[in-house]
Amino acid sequence: MSASEQTATAAPIVEMRKISKLYRGVPAVKEVDFDLRKGEIHALLGENGAGKSTLTKVMAGVVTASGGTMTWHGKEVSFQSPFEALEAGIAMVFQETSLVPSMTVAQNLYLGSEKFLNRLRGIYISAQQFLQSLNFAVDPTAIVSTLGAAKRQMVEIARAVHHNAEVIIFDEPTASLTPEEKRHFFALMHRLKSRGVSIVFISHALEEALAHADRITILRDGELVVTDHAGAFDREKIVRAMVGRTLSGEIYNKKRGADEIRKPGSRVLSVQDISMSNVVRNNSFSIYEGQITGVFGLIGSGRTETFKVVSGIYKRDFFAGGAIELEGRPVRYTVPREAVKDGIIYVTEDRKTEGFFETMSIAENLYSGLLAANLEKKAYISLREMRALAKDWTGRLNVKAINDNARVVELSGGNQQKVVIGKGLIQQPRIVIFDEPTRGVDVGAIAEIHQLINRLADSGLAVIVISSYLPEIMNLSDRILVCRQGRIVEEFAPDEATEEKIMYAAVH
Amino acid sequence: MTRLLSHLTQEVIVFLLAATLFLAAAIFLPGFMFKDGAFQAGNLIAMVRAVSVLGILAVGMGIVIIGRGIDLSAVAVMAMSVAWYLQMLNSGVPGWQALGWALAGVVAVGLINGFMVAYADVPAIFVTLASSYFVYGFVRSQLIVSDATPAPAGSWILELPNLGLVTSTHIPIDVYAFGAAVFVGFLFLRFTKWGRYIYLMGDNFMAARNMGVPVRPMTVLYYVISALMAFVAGILTTSSIQSMNVRVVNSNMLYDVILVCVIGGIGLSGGKGYMRNVVVGALLIGIMGNAMTIMDFTNVEQNLIKSIILLTAIIIDGLLNPRDEQTAQQGDI
Repeated sequence: MSASEQTATAAPIVEMRKISKLYRGVPAVKEVDFDLRKGEIHALLGENGAGKSTLTKVMAGVVTASGGTMTWHGKEVSFQSPFEALEAGIAMVFQETSLVPSMTVAQNLYLGSEKFLNRLRGIYISAQQFLQSLNFAVDPTAIVSTLGAAKRQMVEIARAVHHNAEVIIFDEPTASLTPEEKRHFFALMHRLKSRGVSIVFISHALEEALAHADRITILRDGELVVTDHAGAFDREKIVRAMVGRTLSGEIYNKKRGADEIRKPGSRVLSVQDISMSNVVRNNSFSIYEGQITGVFGLIGSGRTETFKVVSGIYKRDFFAGGAIELEGRPVRYTVPREAVKDGIIYVTEDRKTEGFFETMSIAENLYSGLLAANLEKKAYISLREMRALAKDWTGRLNVKAINDNARVVELSGGNQQKVVIGKGLIQQPRIVIFDEPTRGVDVGAIAEIHQLINRLADSGLAVIVISSYLPEIMNLSDRILVCRQGRIVEEFAPDEATEEKIMYAAVH
Repeated sequence: MTRLLSHLTQEVIVFLLAATLFLAAAIFLPGFMFKDGAFQAGNLIAMVRAVSVLGILAVGMGIVIIGRGIDLSAVAVMAMSVAWYLQMLNSGVPGWQALGWALAGVVAVGLINGFMVAYADVPAIFVTLASSYFVYGFVRSQLIVSDATPAPAGSWILELPNLGLVTSTHIPIDVYAFGAAVFVGFLFLRFTKWGRYIYLMGDNFMAARNMGVPVRPMTVLYYVISALMAFVAGILTTSSIQSMNVRVVNSNMLYDVILVCVIGGIGLSGGKGYMRNVVVGALLIGIMGNAMTIMDFTNVEQNLIKSIILLTAIIIDGLLNPRDEQTAQQGDI
């Protein structure tokens, strides 16, 4: 009997039955069964918005389920808070870290379990010993905000282990790690497993799941598709189960011929040596009309910040901040309004915090674009015009909703993204910057958004697509820029670029 | 049933509560509406007047809160601008000139509030708190001579309650003013571009800024509107009590103004609420305050009851419209 089969026969320590979670009546998870056995690594896979995070958040008490039951060591439980779950022995390591940035590593480790009389020296010593026992090279006296992404994650993991968690849930743990750090992370995961800790591991990277998991569960649109031993899967099978159709393959595996690559039009934007504190450093590049410029970079490479400077959302350094020329005219925007007036729009990667207006309907959101750009120079608003505009654009963008009065928060990620894009396009831009245009978007909508982006470039606009998903960059770009440590370090033509070459430029 | 419950927003609950209270007071409380079985309008008029001044302040405050700001200087501006205006009239400054100076001062305070918040990025709560203290201190020490400044005999302010419209309908001028303020506020928020901008800023400030809404000029604008509303409220106060006593700045009137907004259902996180919420909130506070005064409750007891009502409204709203991480708004408080 192999090791994975042994764990397969062990009794489950967590059993979730028919778990549902509704957000404003919209189901994020529908009657999902899930179980976790002692000492197994259980990978949870699915497209964005499939309900992976929600399911595990129910398990860890971050959200409460709208329906279904959960048993823990055979007893029925319903955790009301992450603290209760942690007390019971279930810890979750979040995608966005939940550490207190202004405290030291040791203070974070002991957060919530401090003694009444808290002596710093004492916790530094015990934290040091503890981190060493895990083989983590992290200084316990370092302030968390000074640490890099990988080290922060180590601290999160250490905190989970420190609470003697029997179950640790990792939400996209490897997204921000370098290959070297990933190796460390997986070694640790296997060490935890050998101690008898059960691990739930949410990932986008199928290879990681195949290589390290004992069992794999796949969700799609909030529903359980399949749970089985990792040995029963291969890449093809997982992808099929995740998307339910072979659409994903169609989107990303299409090879473009050399004649399909668009030639650059006139140069609209020329950026020389722009800097912003230490995030964007002496960055120079040009953007041309009528083609899609793909920008690839890892998290923290300054790609988003660079283009936020271009679109006026951030201000570049006042001294030695470089120069930006729009069609030969030097510009220095202090507010995004000036950039919008010049026809530069930025479509955000974070819809919820800076994309749409959530108390408002689709129509109101779309109309806001027109109002904000002040294209009509009218003092009053017109409901008739708003309705006509909404009808026109929901049709053009194929936004699926019951009606235009539906609130944007009630839409799926893909439809939300279409509304956000529409709101920008209504402003009649000449340069459109898409930051992660398909993040959290369902597969069907990805294809539509890609078509839309292609159409924009065909119609002569300068289009910039920032993405950390290589196939997206490879597939869309007529020109690929790679960003690392605050500057564009390399440029590729799409026919000479390979995923390996781009990744190499982005990492080294 | 659940469909019915989902319509029970805070403003509906508060409206029902106000209506119930009104009926109960009318039936069971002698002197509220009927005295010895006969209808008497006196108390109702007094109640409506008291509410109107609060309501006008709340119109300004409501607009500011919808745009995700707060104006703690409203009551200070109301009292001090009008006291200074009356002082100028008393010391013989020509009427139009005095009014011009007073309005210029009011607009200046609004502009400074707005500039500090929008361009210097100081949190609104500190800016307006500081300007409240400054306005009070400066005017009280430099521009007026005593706490109470009487309106000069024959001034237009004292003539306000005797306007033809008012005497023919027996509805006090304050009510017309409140109604007009609500109506203008409604038109502004609902039908003008700038009104939409305020909602956009309150709903999602970052998104509004990024898509080109002129967020800084708009911020300045709504603080100026709030200051002007405060001046109007001050004039009305003076018309009914013939003087302006600046000690009102140190009372808890400001909290009542915020209470009217919040209890009516204008979310402090911005982007939520309409002028009708102000009306509903003002009605409840007004009816409650009046009934409690008739029942001879002390100020302390009244505050206690107001606090309980506020907490209840917020808790019921929280139960009916639950929020979790997916529905919570940016900057929710």
